[in-house]
Amino acid sequence: MNNSKFMDLLERILMPIAEKLNNNRYLTALRDGFLVALPLIIFGSIFVVIANFPFLDQMISEEAFAAYQEALGPASDATLTIMGAFVIVGIGYKFIANQGGEGIYGGVVALAAFLILTPQVVEDVEGGIPISALGAEGLFVGIITAFLASTLYQYFVNKDLTIKMPAGVPDAVSRSFSALFPVSLTLTLFLVIRIIFEFTPFETVQNFIYTVLQEPLTALGGGLPATIIAVLMIQLFWFFGLHGQIIVNSVLDPIWYTLNNQNLEAFQAGTELPNIVTKQFIDTFIVGIGGSGMTLAVIIGIFLIGRSRQLKQVGRVGAPAGIFNVNEPIIFGLPIILNPLVIVPWLLAPVVVAVVTYYAMFFGLVPRPAGIIVPWTTPPLLSGFLATGNAWQGAVMQVVSMVIVFMIWWPFLKVMDKQYYEQEKEEDNSSSASSNGTES
Amino acid sequence: MTKILLACSAGMSTSLLVTNMQEEAKARGLDAEIWAVAQDKAESDMEKADVLLIGPQMRFMKRKYEKVAKDVGIPLDVIDAQAYGRVDGKAVIDHALNLIESK
Repeated sequence: MNNSKFMDLLERILMPIAEKLNNNRYLTALRDGFLVALPLIIFGSIFVVIANFPFLDQMISEEAFAAYQEALGPASDATLTIMGAFVIVGIGYKFIANQGGEGIYGGVVALAAFLILTPQVVEDVEGGIPISALGAEGLFVGIITAFLASTLYQYFVNKDLTIKMPAGVPDAVSRSFSALFPVSLTLTLFLVIRIIFEFTPFETVQNFIYTVLQEPLTALGGGLPATIIAVLMIQLFWFFGLHGQIIVNSVLDPIWYTLNNQNLEAFQAGTELPNIVTKQFIDTFIVGIGGSGMTLAVIIGIFLIGRSRQLKQVGRVGAPAGIFNVNEPIIFGLPIILNPLVIVPWLLAPVVVAVVTYYAMFFGLVPRPAGIIVPWTTPPLLSGFLATGNAWQGAVMQVVSMVIVFMIWWPFLKVMDKQYYEQEKEEDNSSSASSNGTES
Repeated sequence: MTKILLACSAGMSTSLLVTNMQEEAKARGLDAEIWAVAQDKAESDMEKADVLLIGPQMRFMKRKYEKVAKDVGIPLDVIDAQAYGRVDGKAVIDHALNLIESK
């Protein structure tokens, strides 16, 4: 009784949190903005993988390998490396479009505002924009600027600070003018902000945001304690049948992507990778082994020890999708949701895997994620290999994680199977008894 | 023709259900169009649908979708968690038809 009351209470707390986080208009635009950039990010990732094919550097001469890498370089430099630019356009566009405004102006005004704030000097040469400003370093400034610029733009549009065209002027023409005032006012404000910052010790807004916001937040988000909390939150939401991944991602993606691109920059430069926890640490090594809770190992467990028909049925339905990290059939079918029997392995297994993976990477047994974004539907083993920059240890790490999950689940799965099995036996007995005509 | 729209976070797990529902519709001789979308496309696709069913893991979207559904004039509901877990096309088709009928 008390148990179910406690469950009700938790559900009543978590449900509004899920609703607020998922439907918050800033977080919605943020998520949509990343979605706009995602195809480009993945395109760039594919070429990082191709440029770093294993053993290739040993098969061809050093010069040929360098030429090969150089030839492929622009593909990722123009997309993955400067993902900030696309995220900014995406956020600006979606934020305005979601409010019913003209999204494209939101997108370009966001990008222009960001560029106004960006130092336009590369190694003392004027007229260049440092690529790093559009990558990891600039992601936080970019996100904040995108929201600020598009909000200001829409504010000025709503104020009706536009030039009215006489009747008869084609609609497209008057529309092009209607954006003029809001865009100009917004960008002027950003120019003023830039000039003001030149008089501060930070010199640029980039510097300011990087020092006071981005660095502390990424340091916090890249640590093991915050990662464990994030993983636990994902699991807890899912336990109540709420999509934990999408809820937690919408808050942590900016941090995880920033950490990711820092690693990418180091990987491309051939220097030591600074971060362990990145977007791919979560997506590939925690979630991407069958879906949230790494249920592929649970499915394998069912096939190995399952005697109950119901359990085996769940395994058969869940296996094909599970290979591609879609596991709703397991979560709702086993069921995992609201099932007190599985709450311990459900919460414990991903945390243990997170800790083990973290330290395996910390001690260099497994290479750190190289900043390559692997689509979350990529099957495990392949995803671990790709995410670590074509390292077999990445795939082995995922196998080890599956063994860990399997061992933690084993006793609980046994109990569950026994319960179902005996239930089924009873049902069979009573149904055969009633078919013999004896009333039970 | 009956048009059934399913929505979840990325339209992945609901698309599993779509396949089973299409088979069930075919078996019943029901002329139906059934498709799954990601959460951000659900609102725009509602105009083309007779009913919207939401994956239970995204049930916190119901309140938001309700406003649009009311404007468009279609019923909506959250898919039963058990039927979702079984990827039970039959039960979900029944659910959809009931919603359309009792509108």
